[in-house]
Amino acid sequence: MRLACDTGGTFTDLIVERDDGSVAMFKAPTTPADPIEGVIAAIGLAAAADGADLAAFLRRVDTVIHGTTHAINAIVTGRTARTAFLTTAGHPDILVLREGGRANAFDHHLAYPSPYVPRALTFELPERIDHAGRITTPLDEARTAAILDRLEQLEVEAIACCLLWSITNPAHELRVGELIASRLPGVPYTLSHQLNPSLREFRRAISTAVDASLKPLMTRYLGSLHERLKTAGFSGRLLVQTSQGGMVGADALARTPIHSLNSGPSLAPVAGRAIAAVLEESGDIIVADTGGTTYDVTLIRDGRIPMTRETWIGRPYEGLMTGFPSVDVKSVGAGGGSIAWFDEGGLLRVGPNSAGSRPGPACFGQGGLEPTLTDAAVVLGHVDPDHFLGGAIPLDAAAARAAVERIAKPAGVSIEQMALAIRRMATENMVQAIQDITVRQGIDPAAATLIGGGGAAGLNSTLIGRRLGCRRVVVPFVGPCLSAAGALLSDIRAYFRATRFSETADFPFAVVNAVLAALSAQCREFAEGAGGDPGSTTIEFHAEARYPNQVWEIDVPFQTAKFVGAADVEALRQAFHAAHRSLFGYDDPGSEVEIVTWCAAVSIDLGRSGRAVLGQRDVELARPSHHRPMWFDDDPQPVRTPVFSLSEIAAQGDLSGPLVVETPFTTIVVDLLASCRLDDRIGLIISSGGAQ
Amino acid sequence: MSGLAEVRDPARLGILANRVDGVVRKMANTLLRTGRSGVLNRARDFSCCIVTADGHLLSSADSLPIHVLSGPDLMAEAMVRFQPDLAPGDAFLNNSAYHGCSHPADHTLLAPVFDGMGRHRYTVLVKAHQADIGNSTPTTYFAAARDVYEEGALIFPSVQVQRDYEDIADFIRMCEARIRVPEQWRGDYAAMVGSARIGERELKALGEEIGWDELAAFCGSWFEYSERRMAAALRRLPNAVASRVSIHDPFPGTPSDGVPVRVIVRVQPEAGSIEVDLTDNLDCLPCGLNLSEACARTSAMLGVFNSIDGDVPKNAGAFRRISVRLRENCVVGIPRHPHSCSAATTNLADRVANCVQAALAEIGDGIGMAEYGAPIPATSPVISGVDPRNGKAYVNQMFLGGTSAPGRPGADAWLTGLHVGNAGLGFIDSVELSELYHPLHVAHRRLVRDSEGAGRFCGAPSLSVEYGPVGGWMDIAYVSDGNLNPAQGVRGGGVGGPADQWIRHADGTLERLPQAAQVRVQPGEFVIATCNGGGGYGPPRERDRQAVRRDLEAGLLSSERAAAVYGFET
Repeated sequence: MRLACDTGGTFTDLIVERDDGSVAMFKAPTTPADPIEGVIAAIGLAAAADGADLAAFLRRVDTVIHGTTHAINAIVTGRTARTAFLTTAGHPDILVLREGGRANAFDHHLAYPSPYVPRALTFELPERIDHAGRITTPLDEARTAAILDRLEQLEVEAIACCLLWSITNPAHELRVGELIASRLPGVPYTLSHQLNPSLREFRRAISTAVDASLKPLMTRYLGSLHERLKTAGFSGRLLVQTSQGGMVGADALARTPIHSLNSGPSLAPVAGRAIAAVLEESGDIIVADTGGTTYDVTLIRDGRIPMTRETWIGRPYEGLMTGFPSVDVKSVGAGGGSIAWFDEGGLLRVGPNSAGSRPGPACFGQGGLEPTLTDAAVVLGHVDPDHFLGGAIPLDAAAARAAVERIAKPAGVSIEQMALAIRRMATENMVQAIQDITVRQGIDPAAATLIGGGGAAGLNSTLIGRRLGCRRVVVPFVGPCLSAAGALLSDIRAYFRATRFSETADFPFAVVNAVLAALSAQCREFAEGAGGDPGSTTIEFHAEARYPNQVWEIDVPFQTAKFVGAADVEALRQAFHAAHRSLFGYDDPGSEVEIVTWCAAVSIDLGRSGRAVLGQRDVELARPSHHRPMWFDDDPQPVRTPVFSLSEIAAQGDLSGPLVVETPFTTIVVDLLASCRLDDRIGLIISSGGAQ
Repeated sequence: MSGLAEVRDPARLGILANRVDGVVRKMANTLLRTGRSGVLNRARDFSCCIVTADGHLLSSADSLPIHVLSGPDLMAEAMVRFQPDLAPGDAFLNNSAYHGCSHPADHTLLAPVFDGMGRHRYTVLVKAHQADIGNSTPTTYFAAARDVYEEGALIFPSVQVQRDYEDIADFIRMCEARIRVPEQWRGDYAAMVGSARIGERELKALGEEIGWDELAAFCGSWFEYSERRMAAALRRLPNAVASRVSIHDPFPGTPSDGVPVRVIVRVQPEAGSIEVDLTDNLDCLPCGLNLSEACARTSAMLGVFNSIDGDVPKNAGAFRRISVRLRENCVVGIPRHPHSCSAATTNLADRVANCVQAALAEIGDGIGMAEYGAPIPATSPVISGVDPRNGKAYVNQMFLGGTSAPGRPGADAWLTGLHVGNAGLGFIDSVELSELYHPLHVAHRRLVRDSEGAGRFCGAPSLSVEYGPVGGWMDIAYVSDGNLNPAQGVRGGGVGGPADQWIRHADGTLERLPQAAQVRVQPGEFVIATCNGGGGYGPPRERDRQAVRRDLEAGLLSSERAAAVYGFET
């Protein structure tokens, strides 16, 4: 039996995959002070549903896959280790200056972000290596030793070392590592060329600093989780979800904890890809996850989950860029808790401020007064205040109306009209996020399938699909626990990369083939360590490449593990032209191509089929179908609208909106002009009604 | 109010504004990711925008302020005036400071957008600072140029460069014959065309989806909304007339005591409007510092927008509430050909904008900003030479860093603000990328202690950068104002650190370099460049004590200065 347990901001999601392939979902409240308690509680719910006590249940579990917000929370709240930053003499402000850039030229209230490691804990090591890897100033070991002694006095808990050009010659960083190990035994450290061997010193430095600062706490957290699971009866393997959309052993993760930063959201696209596979959908897939405060979107093309080297924690330029490759999840401040307001020019805005989980939307009755998207859904009758989350949280409909009225009255429109406007505006914000990852890269969302996950996805996914002109919107059974489902479907994966500048014009076959051989060896070593056999292990290569003098590389997959002749190089060049055309609308077919970084991904297929996980629907609500008055766009009057459970939909075949589907975890609105049907393998399939 | 459906739909206006901004952002992303020169793809020195057919700025999301507030309007008008028979697939190049462009280095591509009936509805613009424009010397800021002839750039006063979506080959050959490192220029040009055509395609899709007349009605409503926002922001200011002078350092071709820039700002809160008067200034000078009309207008407007609610949309609607008074043949007005405007986006433009925001700061607490430090320091040089590693010629502007931003009413400087005209939107070059791309060694890059503009909210400390060529000579060019006249504080705030530039010869001796120069640096020699810091806002003794302590611990402030300037005892 396998468990996937994803700790989110509000709920801890659990999916149980029994040995017979059957699956069940559970949600327990997240316990921020001690998130492990929420994990154990969720497993407790599963055990109870199984009629077993916790210990007996856990003894039957061979694998627990955990998604955690522990690392990202520690960064957001500033509870990471006291970390020192060691860098090349003359360059102490790498983390202060960052890469420049600013989101808004005229926002004069926003403070410039503080460096991740303060200047007071930054130390300059006398040494220098040039771009070709030549040592121009040898490392001053006596000075380095004196600095390390100073770190001890300063009670530093972790050390990050990023020296210029360590990617072309790691000798100095390696020596610093030896000196740390001998002078400060037990103090965890991270060397930049080992963690993130990429060009641009800021990106390497910031990921190194983040990784080092997480080591003490993630080692403690994962150790404690494993210990408490063992105490509760678990004796199997503990895996952790990674920002790269895979999973690794808890011990490996503790050694490079930066991998867990985006541990939850990165797995939703894995579930999305599996859903597309079951649907035999070969076109583009947009995976969207709606939470209370954020809307996370990812585009999957040709079955590939996209990666980025520009992940931000918080908003771009004011937040923290991690500089570390991870699944490309674009996150915007839009969700069920987004607050609606009017600016002084009379323009309706929704978000980016959110009521969060405290006080939450007005209808939660916890003191929130401002209208949110969820309040609008209550006003419109889409959400039944007595059956939110299967009735687990009773909602205050009067409070929702009062909140919406606060802005409807001054605007001179009815409460319902205003609620519809809030829903449209929130929809637009989400649509912009999707357009950012599609239209802006020359991809037509009209040809894509939209997969809506997250507890609040059902409120407006139909409208989002309609506005984008998407052919098809899917709200899957596993939607409310999409990341946990992704964990059950993911491979054990790792990425390795090497920066070796190469040009197609004068291709250095021997050098590149040596790099690819080394990357393959790293992949095989990882696979053996993780228990993978050659039959289930796959290695995929891609190049980060560009036209001469461009600086923003794009990923180009290639098939060969060894470049034999001109034809192999030409194939890579042509693949680059095609990728450039697809991203930016034009190419430069006469141009040569430069490759900056060579990458390899290794995955170990655990042989799990998506069908069993995805096809399992929730426990049904024990409510007969009924009708409620609801409001929709394009109709000024309330419409008597049917409400169904999933099995009722299954019995009906194709149904035209408006209608609402209720499950214990979510409410799905199928608007006027839209239609839906149930696909037993996946969930609800909605035709959104075409372009507006 | 127009016939827009907005009357019954409160969400409509915001949704359409988002969608129009989205078109501009997509254009910008294309240019950043595909540009070939460092000035585009690393520093992001470009802007994209949409204007209506009759020349009203509609959207310029994420653009550099000095590029777009005024200029696109003037260039769109010039295009229609010179080319009355516009057709789909046309594109025009404008880099003429006498025809609406900011300065000759900012090549601007204009493409008219037509509806299905063949009516010209909008114009999309892509403005990109070039690595080289064929000046008589390898720089894109030629401050010493006596006139446009000595400056020497190819000037394109709205010249057709595409017909039926195809390049006009004559134009390409002209540029290839004259612009240094022509293949780099051609790559940048292709990226600009790609960006403009993506903008055209997206805008057409939007017009066809919602209806061209509905889109036009939206523009009317959006301008009205923006004007309301602007008026409301100006009504919160006190009724005042403020004047101020800011002095540009003496350069070749200027009076020996420099160029004083005088502004008079008249705030009329009851009318919800503001006027900036630049007419009481010197005539055009025999050097490259003269402002273009676009930069004169924009810099005045920029000073105003830096002083009020930052959320007011920057478009033709809001601009109705600002009047800028300029005069012909004025160094900060409307230039008279053949006076050169080679450095129009930076030096005197910064003085104008700084003057306006600092003047406004003095009329009430919480308004305006202190002065940005003056550009362009030798930390951001135009470099050129032949790369000994491959024998290829190179020319490019480097952005090794600029920390010249001022203290603001509620926050310290946005540290990486290079100058008032780019507001910190540009990127800073990575040391590793710089050394990989050019035969360059960056020996150090660090903030300078005790160089911040002290204040309740501090201006940025100066940045010092030391760099030199590897394996062969390198020419560097820069126009560093602010050696003598650093950034002033406001409301009792202090002065930012001055700019400076030295060369360290191979024998270790140091020599001060001129402020505006082209210098050949030999291997073994290093330039030590310092940029201006920014001015402070409010009295330093009112600074939050925790903030003073933090700066002390960071090593950015000495305990002597903490005591003397901030009254902070350790």
